[in-house]
Amino acid sequence: MVGPYSADLGEILSLWSTLPFIGMLLSIALLPLFAPKFWHNHFGKVSVFWALVVSIPLLSIYKGVALHDFLEIIIADYLPFIIILVALYTVSGNILLRGTLLGTPGVNTCILAIGTALASWMGTTGASMLLIRPFLRANSHRKNRTFMVVFFIFLVSNIGGSLTPLGDPPLFLGFLRGVPFFWTFKLLPHMMTAVVILLTAYFLMDSYYYRKEKVKEMPVDKKKEPFGIEGIHNLFFLAGIIGAVLMSGMVKLGEVKILGVETAVQDLIRDVLLLVIAVLSMMTTRKEIREGNGFTWFPMKEVAILFIGIFLTMMPCLKILQAGEKGELAFVIRAVREPYHYFWVTGILSAFLDNAPTYLTFFTSLLGRFHPGVGGQEAIIRLMNEHALFLEAVSAGAVFFGANTYIGNAPNFMVRSIAEETGTRMPSFFGYMLKYSIPLLIPVFVIITLLFYS
Amino acid sequence: MSIEKILFPTKFRELAFDALETLFVLKEAGLREVLLLHVILREDVGFVPFGGYLKEEEERQREEARIRFEDWQKSLSEKGINSRIIIRVGDPVHEILTVAEKEQAGLIVVGRKKRIDVEDSFIGSYTHKIITRTKIPTLVSKYMVQFQWDDATLTKVNGNPFEAPLVVVDWTELSGRVVEFLSGLCGAVRKASVFYNLDADTLRGRSESEISRIKEDSLRKLQSYCGKLESCGMEAQPHLGAGDILEEILRVSRERKSSMIMIGNTCEQHFLDRMLHRSISYEVTRISELPVLLVG
Repeated sequence: MVGPYSADLGEILSLWSTLPFIGMLLSIALLPLFAPKFWHNHFGKVSVFWALVVSIPLLSIYKGVALHDFLEIIIADYLPFIIILVALYTVSGNILLRGTLLGTPGVNTCILAIGTALASWMGTTGASMLLIRPFLRANSHRKNRTFMVVFFIFLVSNIGGSLTPLGDPPLFLGFLRGVPFFWTFKLLPHMMTAVVILLTAYFLMDSYYYRKEKVKEMPVDKKKEPFGIEGIHNLFFLAGIIGAVLMSGMVKLGEVKILGVETAVQDLIRDVLLLVIAVLSMMTTRKEIREGNGFTWFPMKEVAILFIGIFLTMMPCLKILQAGEKGELAFVIRAVREPYHYFWVTGILSAFLDNAPTYLTFFTSLLGRFHPGVGGQEAIIRLMNEHALFLEAVSAGAVFFGANTYIGNAPNFMVRSIAEETGTRMPSFFGYMLKYSIPLLIPVFVIITLLFYS
Repeated sequence: MSIEKILFPTKFRELAFDALETLFVLKEAGLREVLLLHVILREDVGFVPFGGYLKEEEERQREEARIRFEDWQKSLSEKGINSRIIIRVGDPVHEILTVAEKEQAGLIVVGRKKRIDVEDSFIGSYTHKIITRTKIPTLVSKYMVQFQWDDATLTKVNGNPFEAPLVVVDWTELSGRVVEFLSGLCGAVRKASVFYNLDADTLRGRSESEISRIKEDSLRKLQSYCGKLESCGMEAQPHLGAGDILEEILRVSRERKSSMIMIGNTCEQHFLDRMLHRSISYEVTRISELPVLLVG
């Protein structure tokens, strides 16, 4: 697990040092909307730009201390984060579902339910990648497909990932900080509430459109292909990933220093195992299976490039929040008091910024508020024991609200991209919010607030 | 077995149309249709980080490709060859192989059409993946190339690859298929050279009379292949080589002024297999300045 962060830098850093983080997140939020082509071609340069804007002045002024903190965030957070994503993405990309499914309301609801259940075990990205193409193929004869993809984003690409650290990147960052693997199962009632309401709404909507479209039993042009799973041995690799992550949370093998950063040996073993699993999965699976899934490394490359910028620019922000009342972000800690504050503020920011850094920011603010100056692991244990509801609110907010916009969580744009590529019209950024996420998701989140946080 | 349908994938690089023009002669050998394929890279239009899909960019690229293809179609139509435009988004290798299978293409034409840096390989990454994965006959087209010969850098334009092919045989079933394939190209081919190489292992430790018998036997078999080709109306000459097969193929192809090399496709898909079993067809494709037609 991650060693304790020094709070010293957080006490002396001023607010300007958080500007690159804000700039980075605003770039992610605005450039894909207003300058998509520029963003597509130059997102790497934008990421490097903000990383340099934050690192050059801090390294010049605080030298060794800043260097240590930058290295710590790269070694303890960034690298494991990328490695788990690569492992899950690779293994799930090597499993291909074949077969002719006919997209009826019942079948579609089942696919969404299965995807939701899988998301916590193979990641929202992995489950989305596994199921989106079969889901679209099953419904290729249907006229109204937009709402189907939207519900897919809600459930499979976001809410379904709330039960384990494998499910969604924010929870994995929490796991890296010391939150136990199964602790997030506390979100099961919250998740089930959302899932039951949304699946019911989906079934009713799909039934309505199904009748309206007067869909015939089997379209004449649809060639029947028997159902099958190719690359099924990758399920063992998936189990291996779960095992490796569990092991790193249960075993204590001491610590070693890497570039001056204390790193747990079991975490290093986990990361090596995950990489080995990814390589084995690639080596033992036929190319044709990946091609059937439209597998490409491009989305992973994007995540790796963007998140180095996010993690580096995030460092000052985390430090200041960790300093609690002594830091310049004390007003944030004072303003957000109740669990439902945390649920909604973490959630709304997660919807418009990426949910992983947002989670980490509020997770750290909780530590700064309740246990300022206390060492990392001890503070986290006390937080889980004494203020569990706050951490639940932050976790649920980060995962659930990611579904509110296309930019809330990485799989959202991947699903949208695949849907549009295969001819499904998708709403614009604001259309998605106005037509779908606000009318459908916000009432669900209000119900969750009333049930669990009031 | 004539080629009725050719799949011509292109990125519209320099000399692509010139390479297409070299295939018009196959009309005389039964060519009916050319499928003009352009694959828009998924990465160019999809997976915009946190953005989604560049629909307008895809439409722009589609329209550009369509306009270029329509211009090419005029030339094909003038020659009495039908053509169809296929534009897809995705991974080029996957799309090329999928379209080739679905359309039952008789020949896939791949490869860079111009190589002016002698250090560059004739086999790019896409060509490599296609020739190692498909069993459909594949022409690695090399329209304009620079290559080294006796320390001199020469430039060559392979303007009529089907005129005088060199066919490499080794008496296997695969080389039988190569000859069979060539016999389907009557009308397009003027003269074929049929080549067999006696390697060092075959000759080592044998007496003069044994070698003489092997030579005669080989020439007889070569002559039988030539007879088959001549019966289709093309000139055919047998050639026997000895020594390193790669060097011999290059030597004979240059001496006989061959326009193309035809060989059975033994390219291995996996790196380890390639390391363990040297594929002559892969090496010939990689090294020779001539277009290479691989028959699977």
